[in-house]
This record gives sequence, structure tokens and C-alpha cells, in this order.
Amino acid sequence: MVQIVISSKAGEGPAEWLLVELQGEMVSRQNTGLAGNLMGDLHYTKEGVPVLVVGHHILYGKQVKLEKPFAVLMKHSGLPQDEEENMETNQENPTSYTVSALIKKKLIFKTRPKPIITNVPKKV
Amino acid sequence: SAKYCPILTNHKSMESLFIHLIIRGDKDEHAVLCNEDETYDLKIADTSNLLLFVPGCKTPDQLPDISASPQLVHAQIWGFSNCYWELRRQRPRLKKLKKLLMENPYDGPAVGMQEEAPGPKYTMDDLLERIQASREEIEAHLQNVHACEIDGFWRILDFDYEMKLLGHVTQLVDSESWSFSKVPLSVCLEELGSLEPKSMIEHCLNCYGRRYSNEDGQVIYALDEDKVCRATAQLLLQNAVKFNLSEFQEVWQQSVPEGMSARLDQLRGLALLDRSSKPETISLLRIEDLPEDTLERFNSLFSLREKWTQDDIEPYIQDLCGEKQTTGALLTKHARSSVQNGVKVYNSRRPIAT
Repeated sequence: MVQIVISSKAGEGPAEWLLVELQGEMVSRQNTGLAGNLMGDLHYTKEGVPVLVVGHHILYGKQVKLEKPFAVLMKHSGLPQDEEENMETNQENPTSYTVSALIKKKLIFKTRPKPIITNVPKKV
Repeated sequence: SAKYCPILTNHKSMESLFIHLIIRGDKDEHAVLCNEDETYDLKIADTSNLLLFVPGCKTPDQLPDISASPQLVHAQIWGFSNCYWELRRQRPRLKKLKKLLMENPYDGPAVGMQEEAPGPKYTMDDLLERIQASREEIEAHLQNVHACEIDGFWRILDFDYEMKLLGHVTQLVDSESWSFSKVPLSVCLEELGSLEPKSMIEHCLNCYGRRYSNEDGQVIYALDEDKVCRATAQLLLQNAVKFNLSEFQEVWQQSVPEGMSARLDQLRGLALLDRSSKPETISLLRIEDLPEDTLERFNSLFSLREKWTQDDIEPYIQDLCGEKQTTGALLTKHARSSVQNGVKVYNSRRPIAT
């Protein structure tokens, strides 16, 4: 049988992250992949309402406390990157996880994105 | 490379959940997550929504009141996911524990110069490697099955040997005319130490009695009538498939120590009464001999008997209840009810070969 240990950093507890939940799929404009790209701008109104601007869309959301908090785990396989995982036989480099962060609240954007029209021709 | 996996927890206190966590499982088992005293099922859940993880991103309540010009803060999305693991508290899978220990039960010290016959033996660490449960749950179950640690290995006693030890104790109590609630440890060890190892005598007292100290600081035991009678019943019942109920009750009462009362309610989860047959009968049916999985357990019970009253079936399904679940709810889910002779009975939802 396998036993995989999950530990948290000694000393301070894990960091707290924020979860942003969106309906639908995020794609990059030229299909270049998401990594390294700017996703959008997150604003908060004076009332604390989160507003997300992605491309030429605007989404309104709300902040929700998670009834069941999340924990984000980082997997450490102890193996060099290109080797295949074989948990059963690997006693010297057992897989383990560490708790990277806890997530207790999220910003959820459920409303339909509205296009932002910035260039309205005006009659001069 | 580091891979991330969010886990959804529903633990009351998140921080305390992460003190000491282990995922356990064999190749053919579902993984479970254990901390010191609880066991959780790990299941993948997915969502059609996109979940983005943003370290350090602040929410309005965490931002200072900005009356001056707006500020731009760069935040990086660390990653995203469509799925996560969900934790659900569940009863630990402990049937394997007794099965492992029964590979090599202990039936007393080796005779003469011989060493004990070879056989598999397990330390606590060995058990933690093999059983999908938390340490505390394993320790509690070891106590339930009357296992003891001998030379660093956890051993279950051969039942006949266990009854032999109990017999020595109850005979001594009788010959000394002690009250059942005032059995002194030191005298037991002195008088019985020549018959069996002292550690075994003490283990027997721990299993069948409650340990306390009297005013003089002596260690005393109060024998548990229910446990003693129940073990005696098992000794009798395991010798035959079925017994005539009234005959059994007579023999049983005569077999228990004089002064103790043998009552049928002591046998819940150990024996099954058949009040519909003439004469009424009783047979051995131990809950630990039944399957651990809920569906398999119900199938097994319904193949033994087609219709059950709630009172009869309850002791055999009690341990299947989830957190805040009642046996009534379990029966509603897994059985069909009907009324027979004015009594509510339950039968299987699907055809069972009897």
C-alpha cells in the first residue's frame, strides 16, 4: 500500500489565496496559450462589488465566503521531470504533498459578460 | 515538476485538519485521507466553471480606503482548474485489521524450549502501512478486538485461549468470594501467574473489566457482566449452527459465573433469534463476519433472512451509518418496507438468492 504524506510548512500556517470563479472558458486572443499573458483587470466598486474587465467584456461578480474551504496542494514526486511515475516501486523518492495555500473566499462571476463599446461615433 | 490539486474540505476547523495528513491506499483501493483520528474518502469532482487561483489577491475589506488616485496592483494567476478533490468523512475500513491479525492468533506462550511457530506478525507501523484508517481509529479497533502488544507486535488472541484466561479469573473470583466489582489485580497475578503469563492475566482483566484504584491505591477491576456473558454465549454458540432458544438460555445461564445474569439483550450484533420457528432458535451471527461495504452487507443480511424487523436488523447496520445518518434513513435507502402481521418488516429492494 502507498502512504503519501501531506504536510504544511512549519511555523506560520499556509498562505491565503483568493479563488476567482468564472463561467465558461478562457481563451487567448491568438490562441497563444494563457501562460504569461495579461488576463484582465479586476476592479472593486465603492460598494465592494468586484468587476472584471477581460478583453472588451465586462463582468460583474460578488464575493462569497466558501462554506467548504479549499486547500491547494503542491505535489512533489521526488523524481526528475522526464521519468515516469511509478509509485509502487519508488520507496526512495516517495510522492508527497505540501499545503501551499488555503482558500476561504472566492469572487464568482456568474453574469453574462457585457461588451464594452468604447468608440461610439458622435455626430459632430 | 510540481502539480497542484485543490482539495475541498468541509472540516470544522481548517487549520487543525492539516496537522498530520496521510493519503493511504493499495493499488486496487480508493484512496483515503487520514489525520490523527479521522478518515476521509477522496473523490474527484468537476465543475463546468473555471477556477482561477490568485495568490495574495485582496478583497475590498482588505484594501485601504483610497480617496486619492486609483492604484494598480499586479496580481498573478498562479493556475486554473476545472476539477478538485472532495473530502467526505467516512468510517474507516478496519475489517482488514482483524483479518491480518487472525493470520496468526496468539494462543499462549511457547511450550518448553520451543519457540513460537512462525507466522506473520505486525507492528503498529506495519498496520499503518496496510490499513486505510487513522492511527487513533486503528488503536480503538485493536482495543475492540482485544488485541495486545506482545514483543512489539500486535496480536489477537485465539478465542479459546482468551476464554481460558477468563475462566481462570472467574474461577478465582468465585473461590475467593470477591464481589465482581472488587477484583484485586495483585492477587490475580500472584495466584494465576503460575498458570499463565502475568501480562496475559492483566490483559484479560483489561478486556473484561474496568480498571480503577481504591482508597489504598491498589489496582482493582470491576468485571463487566455484559462482556463476560456475551463471550460465554459466543463460546457456546460457535459449536453448532443453531440452538433451541430455551435450551440455550438454560445452558448459558449455568455457564456464566454465579451471580451474573445472562440476558438476550447482551447478544445484539452477536446472535440472531428466530422467533418464527417452532421451537424458537438462536444462532451465531457476528457483525464482524459480515461484509464491510454497505450494499454487500444488506445483500448478505437479506440472503440470510428475507424479512427483518428494524429491531433485529439494527445491530447489524448500525456501523454503516454516516455522520448524522440514522439506521431508519439507511433502511429507507437500501430496503423496502411492508407490514406483516401488524409488524413493519424490511426486505431487499432487489431479488436475492436465499
